[in-house]
Order: sequence, then C-alpha cells, then structure tokens
Amino acid sequence: MEIVNQRSALLSNFEVLTLLREHEREQLAQAKSNFLVKKEQGSSDDANVNQPLEDVPENLRTIEFEASFFPDHGRNAIQYLSAEYQPIIQQTEKSVKKLVRDLSKYDLTKAEKLQIVNLAPTEAVELYVIVEELEDRLEAQMEEILSAVQTSIGSNPSTTEFAAGNDERPSGSGPDPLFLPHEDYVDEEHEVFAEEEMDDPGGFEGDLEMDDDGE
Amino acid sequence: MFILSTLKDTVALLPNTFGLPGEQALIAALNKKYANRVLHDVGLCICVFDLAEAGEGKVRYGDGCLWHKVVFRMVVFRPFPSEVILAKVKSSSEDGIRLTLGFFDDLHIPLPYLPIPSAFDVRERAHFWIPEGGDTPAAELLDTPTENRMYIDQGEIMRVRVETDEFYDDEPGPPKAAEGVQVKRELRRSPYSIICSISEQGLGPTSWWKQAQEEDGMEEG
Repeated sequence: MEIVNQRSALLSNFEVLTLLREHEREQLAQAKSNFLVKKEQGSSDDANVNQPLEDVPENLRTIEFEASFFPDHGRNAIQYLSAEYQPIIQQTEKSVKKLVRDLSKYDLTKAEKLQIVNLAPTEAVELYVIVEELEDRLEAQMEEILSAVQTSIGSNPSTTEFAAGNDERPSGSGPDPLFLPHEDYVDEEHEVFAEEEMDDPGGFEGDLEMDDDGE
Repeated sequence: MFILSTLKDTVALLPNTFGLPGEQALIAALNKKYANRVLHDVGLCICVFDLAEAGEGKVRYGDGCLWHKVVFRMVVFRPFPSEVILAKVKSSSEDGIRLTLGFFDDLHIPLPYLPIPSAFDVRERAHFWIPEGGDTPAAELLDTPTENRMYIDQGEIMRVRVETDEFYDDEPGPPKAAEGVQVKRELRRSPYSIICSISEQGLGPTSWWKQAQEEDGMEEG
C-alpha cells in the first residue's frame, strides 16, 4: 500500500454529507433488492450468484450510517454532519457554490474559506476565531461576509432531505436526485421532481381497500 | 475537516464477486479494508471517493482471487492544525476535557488549553471558567460564587480549535520479561488523537458566544 498524495483535495462537510447520504441510499436500495430476490427464490439453496455482495461490512456501517447502541449520542458520521447545531443541513449545493464565489472577492486563504463554509459564522466573534488578524485585513468587509453567510443558510430554513449530487461524483453512479423541497425554496433544476412525491397506488389485483377513483 | 487522499494498493476480488461490475466490486473490497481505520500520518478513513486507475486482474498461484492494482481517492478525516470545529463534550476530568464527534472520540483538551482562568469543580465533575477572573490562582477560584461561574457540562456543543494531532503506531513486539516477572504492558494509546484548545475568545460552548457582540475587541494571544 502506497500513499500517492496525502492531501489531494479538501472537502467541505456538505460534500461529505451528500456523499454519505448517497451511499446510504444505495445500500438501502441494494438491501431491498437483495431481500426481494431472496423472497422470490424462497428456499433456494445453491450459492446464489445474484447476491455476491455480502452485507455491508461492519466497519463501514459503523463509521457511515448505522446508529449503534447509543442512539442519542449520534455515533456516526451522518448523524454528526446532520445534527441540528450544524449549519450543514441548511446548505444546498447552490448556496455553497454561491458562498464560495462571494468569498473569493475577499483576501481569504483556502482554509479560511473552507471553515466559513463549514461553520457558517453569523456573528463577528465567530469570524474572529476563524480568520486571523481579521481587523487588519478585512475590517470593513466583515459585515458583508457575515451577510453572505446568512444568505446562504437563511434561504433554506428547513432540513433538505437530499441535495443534488455534487459535481465531483464519478459519472457512473449518477442517481436521480430525490429532493423534497421546502415551500420557500425553489430550484429550477428540481421542479420536475417535486411532483414525484406521490407513490403509485398500484394496480395489483389483490389490492383491496383502494378506492377506484384513480384507477 | 475532511480531505481526499490518493492511495495505491493491491486488492483481491473474491470469485463470488466476478459477476458484479468491476468498479462496484473494487470499491466494496476497498471499503471493507479501509473504512473506520486509521492510516498512519494520513488520518481516519471514512470511505472510498472514487477510483482513479485500476489494473487488470491477475491470478496468483495458490488462490482463485483476481488481484488488481488500484489507485483511488479516499475520504479521510483529518482536521488541520488551527482549524475550528464543533464537538460535543464527552467527559471531564482533572486532566482536562474529552470531546467526541460521534464517529471519532479521541479529542482532548488538556489543562493548559482551557480558558484562563478556569478550575475543575470536583463536586460537579465539570470545569468552569470565570470570565472576569484575571489571574487568580486556581485555589481561589473555587471560592467564587457559583453564579459567576461558566460551567462546561457534559453533552455541550463547543467550538474548539485543533492544535495538533498525534499518530501512534502500535506495533506488537515480543513480550518483554524482566527477571522472570512479566513487565506490565504500556497503556494502550489510541492510534490517532487530536489535541484541541478553547483558550481564545469565541471558542468554547456555543451558548457562551451567542449574541455576545460586546465581546468584540482584543483577541487573546
């Protein structure tokens, strides 16, 4: 095993959360389809070539998504990143991109910009902690930076279920974004998907209790 | 606090995965090997981000697996020094405070990095800070009235600055025996631990600094 590049890129918390959520979705979909296949095949006993992937390995589960024995502690990465005290759940890909673009006007290092995106400081004292020598460098523009941050989190006041896949994902795994928009937030790309929340009521013969209105 | 690291490794694909698309099988094998493990001088590996290159599978003598040389990028948790992160207090003791991030527990704040002046209240099992304390020594601090004390309780969310991180490579050696008596093994240290500080203005429990605009002004050194 060789380390080619120890630090080839920096990732924002938002990007990591998006990635982990997508993994989780894929895992759930995989587990569902495995389960359905198992059901269909009943008690088939041969080594099943359709299910070569064993269950998600435990180390991956622990770090990524499964809640462990202490559900209130939030023992995994997704829970940490989507906690209420974090601003990340209020961010979307668009808002993050906009914030980075706005921040590029100021003389900030890459690390400082990343921290501003991750921590979303809304008050001056928070900004002091992140940016060194704030007064000397950016005295007058502090307010502007704070208001840019406020816009990026303020426009999405509620939790977004799932944001669109970000640009760095490998092209082979582009799922349809499942996006449940909050009423205030309208994103042109996702208006199409807003309509798809309703499940197809289904037309099985054995399906009782369904009113025949929609049939 | 997350970075991408590019790694190169050789992984074996088991025959029962030959039916899967290669990329998927390789990513699964890599995740199984690296997820939630600490790589020395790299950090805590979370999951595979993508594959950069993958060679063709070669069969080795003796087993039926296909071995692939892979170059891939991995999401790694490694905050850089002087980064500010949000963490939850896990426990406090006389030596300092221990924080947790849910998926990572080894964040410590040793005594020198607590805000000055502060002391440890043995009855409450919590550290506290006196904002106007100045330079009073710790013994006097314990006599201050409790209303002035700002406690750091368990479970509070804090903003902390990362000072340094330490990697400890634990290689098991032969058991050392001295004069027939087995020497006690050293305390097991965690492979990756982070030292943090809350000694500046703006750090510490987030509730301390909400709407605290009057705190603007000089920063502590």
